Amino acid sequence: MQAVLEREFVEQNWTKEQQEVDLCLDVTDLSIFYGSKQAVMNVSMPIKRHSITALIGPSGCGKSTFLRSINRMNDGIKGFKAEGNILYDDVNLLDTNVDPVALRKEIGMVFQRPNPFPNSILKNLTLPLKEHGLKSKAKREEYAETYLKQVGLWDEVKDRLHESALSLSGGQQQRLCIARTLALQPSVLLLDEPASALDPIATAKIEELLLKLKERYTIVLVTHNLQQAARVADDTAFFYQGEIVEFSDTKTFFQSPKEKRSEDYISGRFG
Amino acid sequence: MQRRKLADKTATVVLTMFAAIIVIILTALLGYVLTLGIQQVNWDFLTSKSSSFRAGGGIQDQLFNSFYILLWTMMFTIPLGLAGGIYMAEYAKDNRITAFIRVCIETLASLPSIVLGMFGLLIFVNATGMGYSILAGALTLTIFNLPIMIRTCENALRAVPLELKEGGLALGYTHWRTITTVLLPSAFPSILTGIILSCGLVFGEAAALLYSAGMTTPKLDFGNWNPFTSDSPLNIMRPAETLSVHIWKVNSEGIIPDLRDVADGGAAVLVTVILIFNISARVFGSWLHKKLTAK
Repeated sequence: MQAVLEREFVEQNWTKEQQEVDLCLDVTDLSIFYGSKQAVMNVSMPIKRHSITALIGPSGCGKSTFLRSINRMNDGIKGFKAEGNILYDDVNLLDTNVDPVALRKEIGMVFQRPNPFPNSILKNLTLPLKEHGLKSKAKREEYAETYLKQVGLWDEVKDRLHESALSLSGGQQQRLCIARTLALQPSVLLLDEPASALDPIATAKIEELLLKLKERYTIVLVTHNLQQAARVADDTAFFYQGEIVEFSDTKTFFQSPKEKRSEDYISGRFG
Repeated sequence: MQRRKLADKTATVVLTMFAAIIVIILTALLGYVLTLGIQQVNWDFLTSKSSSFRAGGGIQDQLFNSFYILLWTMMFTIPLGLAGGIYMAEYAKDNRITAFIRVCIETLASLPSIVLGMFGLLIFVNATGMGYSILAGALTLTIFNLPIMIRTCENALRAVPLELKEGGLALGYTHWRTITTVLLPSAFPSILTGIILSCGLVFGEAAALLYSAGMTTPKLDFGNWNPFTSDSPLNIMRPAETLSVHIWKVNSEGIIPDLRDVADGGAAVLVTVILIFNISARVFGSWLHKKLTAK
């Protein structure tokens, strides 16, 4: 970890304070290509432990590509290539000898559209646990309860655990997906616009949940919703055309952005 | 504005007419086959042996043969088709080899079944020396059915939403486990529908069987269930005339006096079974789908 902390972020001019905090993920000089097209350009970003980092920017700016590279979800895409470092516990996650299957248990992901499996509510939690070798059925169900409680879904579903997960509302499904991911005890949670398909009330519940979860997990959140970033994020990164225009703590970013382009984006002049 | 409305109305009328024509043709055909044939069909017809020159023969052996060959065909086709479909949907890279495989599958699917029958005769019947047999027939029908099966499975797997697959992968499932625990269960209703539909196709096939399963059936003893004896219905090395082959044969070279009745009755039974396959495919498929996505 020492090496990471001593790294100098010349390019981005981090303050002394930013360098000394406990980093969970340290991204440096990350470039991502799809074939000959470069989607992310030489991006660096320190992601603090137990905090929420929001990635904002217009569609196609590279924020989702960036996010999906952290748990190697882009590996299967034709022509995908990533250069640079994503350091996690001193291991570069982009190394070919990092096993993406093991990595994804450690770094969980929740998607834009809720994607529960077409099984019962309970099985959505117990099946992944079984997959990862938790043999005792009682233990699996105990975990299921714990994590359904953690996302605030338990009281809503405890009497219908054996019903299809698809019978839940969109917001409930999304919280189920978060619970399913948390049950594998990851340390990092990647969320790709988790609330963009949900109504305002369900969105508020997710945001409330994220604020609670950051005490235990490091959260990276891609969002289209600037207010959402302002409400929940500790740090905010503004992506534009594959580059990070500005990265700072959320308050500074929204109240006194350093870059003209950030200011324009926040005030709705483009994007 | 008037003209655009008129064009819209015309299109609706014309297309509805075409749909109606299709429905009329089908009902006329089914009505004709069934009204003619149903009078001949009774329990005795279904459970008595066919006769070579006397009137009053039934279709018991042929009916059994049809189902038995179908069973064996499906035992070969389902695993092969699933494997091929999984490969094409999940493992095949987007390159020339895959394109070549795809052309092969399409060509195979469009081969006339009589050509496949000849292939079956040369390879399974003659070259391997197994003779006209249920096994040779089932293998020939497997080739006949395989392209459809592969395509059905591939399409069913591809139709599973990407989010679901990524959900599996993001939970640390391996590719293979994602296929078996996420993709296949989700694709299962469409795969099953495809299987049942192709059962109907295989059940009605005649040309591919003429020279592979043969046009005769030895004397069968339905009390003998030892598959290794020559008069057992279960013996897969015996020749077997199926129902559709029987209809063809009775019609074209039959010498029984009631050949028209037997052909009509056989056709009615054949069509009914195929209808049952098709309807049950729809009903069962949507029931399964509903069960999986139940509210």
